[in-house]
Amino acid sequence: MATITASPPRVGLPAFLKHRAVHKLLLLAVAAAILVPLANARWASGSWPSALTLDFSQPLAKASDWIIDNRDSHPLFLYFFGHVSNIVVIAVRAVYLTLLAVGWAGVTAIGALVAWRVAGVKLALGTAVAFLACGLLGMWVPTMQTLALMVVAVIASVAVGAVLGLAAGLSDRMDRVLRPVLDTMQVLPAFAYLLPVVLVFGIGVPAAVLATVIYAAPPMARLTSLGLRGADQGVLEAVESLGSTARQRLLTARIPLARKELLLGLNQTIMMALSMAVIAAVIGAGGLGDRVYQALASVDVGAALAAGIPIVLLAVVLDRVTGAAGEKLGAEPEPHSGRGWLYALAGVVVVAVAGRLAGRLDWPDAWIVNIAEPVNRAVDWMTAHLYSGVPVIGGTADWAGHFTTWVLDPMRDGLQALPWWGLLLIVAALAWVIGTWRTALTAVLAMAAIGVLGVWKPSLDTLSQVLAAVAVTLVVGFAVGIAAARSDRLERALRPVLDVFQTMPQFVYLIPVVALFGVGRAPAVAAAIVYALPAVVRITTQGLRQVDPAALEAAGSLGATSWQQLRQVQLPLARPALLLAVNQGLVLVLAVVVIGGLVGGGALGYDVVFGLAQGDLATGLVAGGAIVCLGLMLDRVTQPTERRAKKGA
Amino acid sequence: MDTAPVFSVENLWKVFGPKADRVPADPELTALDPAELRSRTGCTAAVRDVSFDVRKGEVFVVMGLSGSGKSTLVRCLTRLIEPTAGTIAIDGEDVRAMDRSRLRELRRHRAAMVFQHFGLLPHRSVLDNVAYGLEIQGMGKAERRERAAEVVAKVGLEGMEHRRPGQLSGGQQQRVGLARALAADPEVLLFDEPFSALDPLIRRDMQEEVIRLHHEEGRTMVFITHDLQEALKLGDRIALMRDGRVVQLGTPEEIVGAPADDYVREFVRDVPREQVLTVRTAMRRPSADQDGSGPAVRPDATVSEAIEAVARAGAPARVVDKGRCVGVVDSDTLLGVVAGTEQLAPPGTRQPKEAV
Repeated sequence: MATITASPPRVGLPAFLKHRAVHKLLLLAVAAAILVPLANARWASGSWPSALTLDFSQPLAKASDWIIDNRDSHPLFLYFFGHVSNIVVIAVRAVYLTLLAVGWAGVTAIGALVAWRVAGVKLALGTAVAFLACGLLGMWVPTMQTLALMVVAVIASVAVGAVLGLAAGLSDRMDRVLRPVLDTMQVLPAFAYLLPVVLVFGIGVPAAVLATVIYAAPPMARLTSLGLRGADQGVLEAVESLGSTARQRLLTARIPLARKELLLGLNQTIMMALSMAVIAAVIGAGGLGDRVYQALASVDVGAALAAGIPIVLLAVVLDRVTGAAGEKLGAEPEPHSGRGWLYALAGVVVVAVAGRLAGRLDWPDAWIVNIAEPVNRAVDWMTAHLYSGVPVIGGTADWAGHFTTWVLDPMRDGLQALPWWGLLLIVAALAWVIGTWRTALTAVLAMAAIGVLGVWKPSLDTLSQVLAAVAVTLVVGFAVGIAAARSDRLERALRPVLDVFQTMPQFVYLIPVVALFGVGRAPAVAAAIVYALPAVVRITTQGLRQVDPAALEAAGSLGATSWQQLRQVQLPLARPALLLAVNQGLVLVLAVVVIGGLVGGGALGYDVVFGLAQGDLATGLVAGGAIVCLGLMLDRVTQPTERRAKKGA
Repeated sequence: MDTAPVFSVENLWKVFGPKADRVPADPELTALDPAELRSRTGCTAAVRDVSFDVRKGEVFVVMGLSGSGKSTLVRCLTRLIEPTAGTIAIDGEDVRAMDRSRLRELRRHRAAMVFQHFGLLPHRSVLDNVAYGLEIQGMGKAERRERAAEVVAKVGLEGMEHRRPGQLSGGQQQRVGLARALAADPEVLLFDEPFSALDPLIRRDMQEEVIRLHHEEGRTMVFITHDLQEALKLGDRIALMRDGRVVQLGTPEEIVGAPADDYVREFVRDVPREQVLTVRTAMRRPSADQDGSGPAVRPDATVSEAIEAVARAGAPARVVDKGRCVGVVDSDTLLGVVAGTEQLAPPGTRQPKEAV
């Protein structure tokens, strides 16, 4: 019982000084008092000093020129990237042609069969309906293009992720190396991955597939490692006590015990791959994403919607089917499941052959329902009647305009008017109070790197959009989350909505906001809010609901009103979850605000799009780097002290 | 009882912590108590200088409170935890000198373990869990399933072969664990607090099951428990551990009747002595005139049985061993045992009742 608590000397200090956060802030204030006058004397305050900026555009432009010049001659490209690129092209092409050769009837039947076997009749019907809807909307060929790219990317992602995950799961050293990298990759916006692959592979399918793999492999790797590490130690010991070899332990115990995490990893990888495969339209992925991209570029909401609906259907079906496969684990295996597969397979072959014989491989033109025109008519009507001048409430365009002039502009101007060192100090203070000196240091360095890259002003523009969007998201999200935590009925009603919203790729959120608000910064912010809201609501609800019921009961037994219970018990105990909601909100909002560059969001996102469109990779890469830094900074600022408590001694 | 021991453990140490090797080697450190050792070296000695033999066919119980080192001790026997110092021999073969494949062979065929939290594979059926040890050994599917089915029947789980562990109750899961250990037909069964996680009624069922199995097969068993009742019920001999040391090793009767120190005395205070002690311990020497009268009891009858005999006859009972009267118990001596006032000599000083 010899526990010695080291108690710091606490004589004569005012009570508030004992608080750790105050210690940190005081320390920071002292450091600032010394450093700021120095910095001020040397470089002026205001915007980031140009003396501290490095010009990357020249060397980057040179590098990009060099790559373009040497792409067909340098051995690195001939013997490595060239082969990678060829393999990817051939693989995607092969899958695509196979899908077309099977025909729409065959593909629909195969999809329904797989869904039936792993997830039941209801989802099989849903899958069939989804595929048929893709055809009806006249999107069969783009859907197959996207699907082909996805199949190749998912297989590659799963392979890469599983190998990395195995390494991290079995070796502590690999885990220490990989975990921070994977954790960081998880928070970066999809847009940031596009330019580096374009630099190496040029615009086209190989670049799109590789960007997708880079984006989608980390969740597989993380969950594989998590599953292997989380295996029940008691079971592993029992397996060892029976005299198993290390190989037998891995194959018969550790991997099967991790199957839940493995399937969850597969699910997440598929969803992220779909999300990226759509965004990668910007770098030549083709398919559904490209249709949306083209339509948005000409503000053709109807056409964008016709391509967007298949994306949403594909996302929902893929998520439900893989999710159902995970839930089915552990249930008793059905008898005769082999025979079921056999019958179903026979049915599929019959359908495919019938489709072939009927000469109906392509979706018949006569069956296409053109929704673009009616949708555009509706949008035109909205533009005419709802955009502005609606009595009392104003119009959507008015709202967007007011939001821009009253919220976004002052925030941007305020941020840009702050002295650069002031902003660094604010970042440091926030990150240090919430987290550790390490997270604070990373955040400050990331912020400073933005200045060094020479994109201080556009980054602050993006930051202002992010902050505005996050503020709205958190206010609405916390309110809805608290309400849902207190009412079972509301939660039940919200659940399917949140499920659908959380599975949709970022890209499709741009379609409705363009219809409602036109183009500009406000629609980008609106899309970001809609995208991040479901996650914030869900995390808040879960956090509040997971508060120890005993604590709530105790408070209730003392006669606390439900408002007191919420304020004094639930919210304080759910603080980690609320902080996580803020963190996730920031990460998700940034991802979409950046994509908002496609619909007039300007700032960093626009630089990326501009760089891609004009072949000016230097500008794009610098903007991409700034996005990465911004993402890192926002994540670290909201990172609690210890993300994972260390286990054992 | 003079057969060679199955397990022979001598001066076994297991020390956790930095540079654990130096602790058993240094007499100065070994003399320290656990708290001092921890503050001096940062090490924890889970098993300290333990020696015992497990005889063929006996149920050897290691009993102690949590943290006494008993679970570490049983894991050292098959090197699931690597011992720090000392020797372990199974049938005379040095376990600590075994290489990997020899050690695997030991775990596969000679010693199987049953765990407190079962350690079943949740994705396999009962039958495949039981057959798992055989699968590891490389036995073909049909053969191992057949063997497993026999064992499943033996532990009373017929009809549940195709269920998953998650669909079974705790008691049934532990029967699967027991069957898995039995399937490999090991020489020794090791039990690590197998019934601690079960509720009392099921625990009693499982204890009866172990007694039945031991009765039918005569397999050697090493049984770890923190439950004194369980130890007394199952154990032929009990090693009582405290802070990593064995404080007393003896038959249940010796532990209850002649505690080695105050710790053990405190431990066994509430045990119903009349159900553990035998009349051999309680009897007086017969006086010359008492040869023919009174009921006869066997020397290994419990005191409570003798009380019943004495009460029915209304006269002192004779303790008869192989037709010879070796002692007498009367109501006074028996009451003294029950009340705990009868002073029983500590082991070694009293007359032998068994070759020591």
